[in-house]
Amino acid sequence: MFDKAASYGLVWDFSASAAVDESQRWILSVMQKHGQELVTMLWRILGNDQDVCDAYQSTFLRLAHCQSGQKPRHLKAYVFRTASNVAVSMLRRKLVERRGLSATTADARCTGTPYSGTVGSVAASPAHHFDSKCLQETLRCYIARLPEYLRDVITLHDLAELPYSQVGKILGITAATARVYRCKAVQLLAVWMSKERQE
Amino acid sequence: MITTSTNMYREPSFASSAHRQDPNKCRQIRTRLHRLVSSSLSLDAGWAQRHIASCPRCQSRIVGVGKVELALSLVKSQRHHLDLLMRANVQAVGVLKHSLRETPKAEKLKNILPKPKLSEQLSRYNHAAANVAACSAILLLAKIGVFSSMQGFQTHSQEVLKQYYAGHIGQDLADEIFPA
Repeated sequence: MFDKAASYGLVWDFSASAAVDESQRWILSVMQKHGQELVTMLWRILGNDQDVCDAYQSTFLRLAHCQSGQKPRHLKAYVFRTASNVAVSMLRRKLVERRGLSATTADARCTGTPYSGTVGSVAASPAHHFDSKCLQETLRCYIARLPEYLRDVITLHDLAELPYSQVGKILGITAATARVYRCKAVQLLAVWMSKERQE
Repeated sequence: MITTSTNMYREPSFASSAHRQDPNKCRQIRTRLHRLVSSSLSLDAGWAQRHIASCPRCQSRIVGVGKVELALSLVKSQRHHLDLLMRANVQAVGVLKHSLRETPKAEKLKNILPKPKLSEQLSRYNHAAANVAACSAILLLAKIGVFSSMQGFQTHSQEVLKQYYAGHIGQDLADEIFPA
C-alpha cells in the first residue's frame, strides 16, 4: 500500500517537475530576446568581461527563482532592473575593495614595506583627467553613488540605450519625468566630477 | 450672480466651437510658442552667451555637464568582445535546471553571436538610398520637363500651321482642319 502511494507520489513529483520545467522555458526566450541588450548594458556598467558574465548569470538565476518560478508580469522591466541592480551592487563592492586595497598600499608605503597592488583611487591625479579609461571609471563610480531613481534612468536610457517611453514604462513613470530625472542625474554627476577635479 | 454663471456656462461652448472651426490653430500657436521659447531660452541665445562668458560658475557647470556627456559617450563607444554574449549565455544556462539546459534552444543560445540592430544594418545603405532617391527625382523632373516641352512644341507648331493655312486657303477651312 505504502509502496504504491510512494510510486504515485514519484509519478506526481515527476509530472510536476516536468510541468515546471516546461513552464520555465520562457527564461530561455527572455535570454534570446533581451540577452544582447542586457550584455551591452552590463558591459557599460561594469567594464569587465567576467563581471558581466557573473551579473548576467545572477540576473537569470533570480528570474528563475522569482515568485517560485512564476513568470513575472512585466518581464522586461524585471530583467532590466534586476540586471542593473546586480551590476551596481557589484560595482559598489569593487569600489569598496579598491578603497581597502588603496588604504593598504598607503599603509605599506608609510611603513616602507613593498606592496605589489596596483589598484588605487580612481582619477587621483589631474594629469589623467582626460584619460578615457580614467574618465569612464570615474563616471561608473559616481553612477553607483547616485540615488536609485536617478541611477535607474541613467542606466536604462544612456547605458541600455532605451528610449524615454520605454524607460518610463519600466520604472512606472512618465517619459517626461524620466527626462527630468536624467537631467538631474547629469547635473549631479557634473557637480561631483567638478568637485573631484578641484580636490 | 446669474450673469456670471451664464458666462461660465457660455465660455466653454464658445471655446469649443472656435476649436471646431479652426482645429489647426492650437497646433500653430504651440509651434510658434515653442519656436519663441527655444530661440530666447536656449544656450545659444545672445544674452545667455554673454552671461556665460563672464560667469565662472556657469562656465564650470557647463564644463561639468560636457565632461559627463563625454564620459557617457566614451562608455558607449567601448565595444565588448564578440563572444561575450555567448560566454554569458553559457554561464547563465549552466545554472538552470538540467532539463532546460538540454533543450535545443539552450544549445542555440550557447553559440549565439551578437547581431547588429536593424538600423545599424541599414545604415550602410543610407548613402546608396540617398543617391537612388536623388537620381529618381532628377529622372522624374526631366521626364516632366520633356513631356511639358513636347506638348508646348506641338501646340505652337499647330498654331503656326493653322495661321499658314488660314493665310492661304481661308479661315473656315483652317478651323475645320485644326479644330480648337
